[in-house]
Amino acid sequence: MANILVVDDSASMRQMVEFTLKEAGHQVTVAEDGQAALAIAKGGLTSDLVITDVNMPNMDGITLIRELRSLPAYKFTPILTLTTESTTEKKMEGKDAGATGWIVKPFNPEKLLATVNKVLG
Amino acid sequence: MRAVPAGQKRIKHLRLPEFTDAKSYWDPIQNVEVVRILAGEYYVTHCEEMITTVLGSCISVCIRDKAINIGGMNHFMLPEENRSNGDDSPRRLTADAAYGSYAMERLINCILKYGGRRENLEIKIFGGGRIIGGMTDIGQQNIAFVRSYLRTERLAVLAEDVGGDLPRRMAYLPVSGKVLVKKLRNIRSETIIKQENVYREDLRRSSSQGGDVELFGDFG
Repeated sequence: MANILVVDDSASMRQMVEFTLKEAGHQVTVAEDGQAALAIAKGGLTSDLVITDVNMPNMDGITLIRELRSLPAYKFTPILTLTTESTTEKKMEGKDAGATGWIVKPFNPEKLLATVNKVLG
Repeated sequence: MRAVPAGQKRIKHLRLPEFTDAKSYWDPIQNVEVVRILAGEYYVTHCEEMITTVLGSCISVCIRDKAINIGGMNHFMLPEENRSNGDDSPRRLTADAAYGSYAMERLINCILKYGGRRENLEIKIFGGGRIIGGMTDIGQQNIAFVRSYLRTERLAVLAEDVGGDLPRRMAYLPVSGKVLVKKLRNIRSETIIKQENVYREDLRRSSSQGGDVELFGDFG
């Protein structure tokens, strides 16, 4: 069981990802954009994994990854993106910002859980 | 026969970068450039263009930002994967809904990317007809999904023409928000049913796979 922070501006995506992870026994905290997620992280929440969307209002996922990497508690936390973006340029931008992996939507519950287990080790 | 209009009337070069390759033709009667989309596709524009498609049990959602006049339309259905063999586990239903959300999110994200704002979105939904006889009403499942999705996202529907037992030909002009719908009484539904079945088979394959996953590092 892991503590997972899920960040997506779409309420339906948050619900589906939360449901999938909780069903597999994980604890989930949700945030509706990068800014909200960063505030939660700075507020002292520690996570074993972050799953974030990329295109979001207020603060996008790439900026969130950069900001999280500057916090001691999130320096080495695995961060996966879950996004409709699939171009190599965007992926490289994510990798350079400090992303651990890149998942392209539509997400498949089994595949998401398999990836989560892989990065949690 | 009317001549193709002079170059300056055609606006393909002004399209959004994502859609520069989209095929289109000039309709001399409506005096507009027309882009036809197929199942699984979407198109967004800020130009005076018309997006058309033919819907059986599939759904098209028309969305525009009414403040800056940019908008588009999608055309999709849920994979309803494996339901015929009784697998309606929550996880399977989630995989179905994840595909629908993806079709919606692609369209909405593209509009937001070019300056649209959620509070200015004007939404109309079409399709979901019951054109195939049988136990399950696939069209109704698609309608239910879209309504539930939009409710969850707190996005209001301004207009809709859904359900019924006839296919629809529809056209959308995102810049003005105008929609034209024609119920197709005289078309043979078999062609549409066949196309939708091919699309559904593709969907079942791709939704059981999901999108690509790439890990940046060694995870054994």
